[in-house]
Amino acid sequence: MGTLTNVGRDLAGVAGLAALSVMIGFAINHFSSQPLSMVYQSPQERLQSQLAELVAAPPFESFPVDTIDLNQFHRIVEDRSALIFDARSSLYYGQGHVPGALNLSRDHFARDYLRLRSTMERAKDRPMVVYCSGGACHDSKMVAQALVSLGFDHVRIFAGGWDVWTAAGLPTSKG
Amino acid sequence: MRVLSGSNRRWLDFALRLALGAAFVYAGALKIRDPLQFADNIASFQILPNMLVNSFALSLPVFEILTGLLLITGFLGRPASLGILIISAIFVSAVVSALVRGLTIDCGCFGTSEPSRGRMWFDLGRDAILLIGAVAAYSYQSTKSVRRSEVTDRSRRA
Repeated sequence: MGTLTNVGRDLAGVAGLAALSVMIGFAINHFSSQPLSMVYQSPQERLQSQLAELVAAPPFESFPVDTIDLNQFHRIVEDRSALIFDARSSLYYGQGHVPGALNLSRDHFARDYLRLRSTMERAKDRPMVVYCSGGACHDSKMVAQALVSLGFDHVRIFAGGWDVWTAAGLPTSKG
Repeated sequence: MRVLSGSNRRWLDFALRLALGAAFVYAGALKIRDPLQFADNIASFQILPNMLVNSFALSLPVFEILTGLLLITGFLGRPASLGILIISAIFVSAVVSALVRGLTIDCGCFGTSEPSRGRMWFDLGRDAILLIGAVAAYSYQSTKSVRRSEVTDRSRRA
């Protein structure tokens, strides 16, 4: 009987710790530079609402985008023959990225796009390549589709992404 | 059953609390850096409604760090170890349910990785080990306090 009382007391303690965690978690979010909204939105919904901030774009649609392999991508990076975009979050971009790549993250697409807009519009006719973390990531595809929606025509994806680039021992940049 | 002497048991208890607590502090610290990514991981399980996903993504890493630190220090060790036990049981159930439903996801338990079924089985194994550790830590904390209260009772009677 005593043991049951103890477990009940422990459960009350867990509830207290959980309540404290919720309060601290919400307080951190309140003071965060990029706070989360109360209701979750999928990556696609978030990108669509960001696109709507930029242009009166038609509803975001999923359509195929051409992909390139590691050899083609490596040549492009060396020749600087295309604008390269890293679709991962700024946190991962800061830790390491393909040399010359610009950060156009899926999650802060509107902010990054506005920052890069003048560079991008000057290079409107140049090819563009987007990558994200690896083969199964969807960020590069979504960012490429968003760029096509914004009127950029020569957009391709390096499907292997950061994982394949680093696994091949190719050079990286930081910051 | 006296397999281990008192001081050995105390050392074992301390090592267990340290390992388990450090694992939870580390896991929480990885998630708290990128709550949006963790929210995407939680949503991929398709268990919680969208109303609760972000609240969970904001609170769970704090809960992991808090209970991990308490477990290491031994302050409020019983509720901390029970909290870790409950959260480990939730992780195991969530990964099992995702495996049963045929989902291929990244659990986001210890940072992000590429989603794969093989990785999910690995995550399940690791979460099961954490759960066993949490059960052992909580049962030791419970027996310790029962022993302590027995000693107190005896000394009161004496």
